[in-house]
Amino acid sequence: MPLFKKLFDWLEVRIGVRELAEKELTSYLLPRTINVWYSMGSILLAIFALQVVTGILLMVYYVPDADKAFKSVTAIMNEVPFGWLIRLCHAVGSNMMVLILLFHMFSVLFMGSYKSPRELNWLSGFILFNLVLGISLTGYLLPWSQLSFWATTVATNSVGAIPYVGGYLTEFLRGGKLVGPPTLGRFFALHVALLPLLIASVVAIHLFLLERIGVSSPPFGQENSANRWEGDRFRYEDHPGGIPFFPNYLLQDMTSIFVYLAFFFAVVFFAPSIFFPFDAFSPANPFQTPAHIKPEWYFLANYQTLKLFPNEFIGLMVQGVAMTFLAVLPFLDRGKERHPLKRPLFMLCAIGGIALYLALMIWGHYS
Amino acid sequence: METRSRRTFLAVCLGGIGAAAACLTTYPLIRYLAPRQGEAARKKVAIPSAEVPEGGAKFFEFDGSTAVLIRKKGGDIVALSAVCTHLGCIVQWQKENEQFLCPCHGGLYTADGAVVSGPPPKPLEKIPFVLNGGSILVG
Repeated sequence: MPLFKKLFDWLEVRIGVRELAEKELTSYLLPRTINVWYSMGSILLAIFALQVVTGILLMVYYVPDADKAFKSVTAIMNEVPFGWLIRLCHAVGSNMMVLILLFHMFSVLFMGSYKSPRELNWLSGFILFNLVLGISLTGYLLPWSQLSFWATTVATNSVGAIPYVGGYLTEFLRGGKLVGPPTLGRFFALHVALLPLLIASVVAIHLFLLERIGVSSPPFGQENSANRWEGDRFRYEDHPGGIPFFPNYLLQDMTSIFVYLAFFFAVVFFAPSIFFPFDAFSPANPFQTPAHIKPEWYFLANYQTLKLFPNEFIGLMVQGVAMTFLAVLPFLDRGKERHPLKRPLFMLCAIGGIALYLALMIWGHYS
Repeated sequence: METRSRRTFLAVCLGGIGAAAACLTTYPLIRYLAPRQGEAARKKVAIPSAEVPEGGAKFFEFDGSTAVLIRKKGGDIVALSAVCTHLGCIVQWQKENEQFLCPCHGGLYTADGAVVSGPPPKPLEKIPFVLNGGSILVG
């Protein structure tokens, strides 16, 4: 311990760690009514860290070359010791990241935490959601299997529905007329360099906003659940008499992360096949499209929407409008009330929207 | 006997669980990153005799490294590791002098791998071989 104390004292006189720890941990007070849904962000940070680590490890053996990619992934799964574990953690983790992100967004929606002054928190979170979808899409191609090849063909094809520039955009995205070796190079660069950097940057902005504005109070367990923000000047939302982040809420965060990890490893060890259909195990063949090719579950609703409309452009527009509505929701919903049960119109739209999303997803799966 | 408080007991339990989790994470990681067993195991390499002319050298991959076969002017064959014992560069065969020269720091070896001059601390490693009909079986 003396060594630890010496190191602590050395840092203390230079950067004031005691004051920093007090400000950010023990004196950082959160509302007493805070609930488990507030730990979704911490779970997402843990998942992102795990994705970065497993991604770096996969890069040790993965070869981003159309002739060698599938073989290298097969070798990782079958020959490299514990390669299957690293790859399954990465593949299952990407699905889990989208799932937990959706939970995070739903909890923010239902608790009205996106309302003023937290419009930017919502917007940065929405951007993160899109970036995560992007990193999932680009990563999906990398194994260069029949599934990844044709799912990417279908996904990039949708861009072609945009009038005038659609064709050029599709070609630009693919690096050629069809999905091929240049697409792999582009998607690899996006997946391992650009998108992780962007995600890390937007996460930093998201956390800065959280820290600067203060944590919102849950609308539950209090008589007046209306938004108390006055809008005349900047005020940090503090919570006098609240619970400290350390150790109280950190314990909740850790509990949530470990519950998540239990669920995550249960899927990795006992049911990884739910994310690996048959076509994921045969190498890409540009001359043979497999029957019933479908995108990943989180793109199924988009896929089904595109199929519902006779004109692909209208299908794209509908999705664009829905996503824009979601992005600018805090600017449209100016009501003060935050309790979901006191917002019947919101509840109707939210539950209707989620039900529609799930219905389209199931329809897309069985269509 | 010293009685332990509940806090100490929980701290020990937590430390134990943490150590077990660390081992469970570290072991697969080390196995994943460690060089693959078996792949680097010594495999015999057959080189056709015709590929090693008198006074000439044949460089090839052996045991995960680089080796060289030479046929001296008298007809004697020598198999050596081509890795310089100084800093691991690959030596070059100088046909005229029948010597090996390391291009990195000028280490000179005889055709049998003995150090002539320069910084190499040891001779080149000799590799066993047998003549098998029209080929040389190294290893």
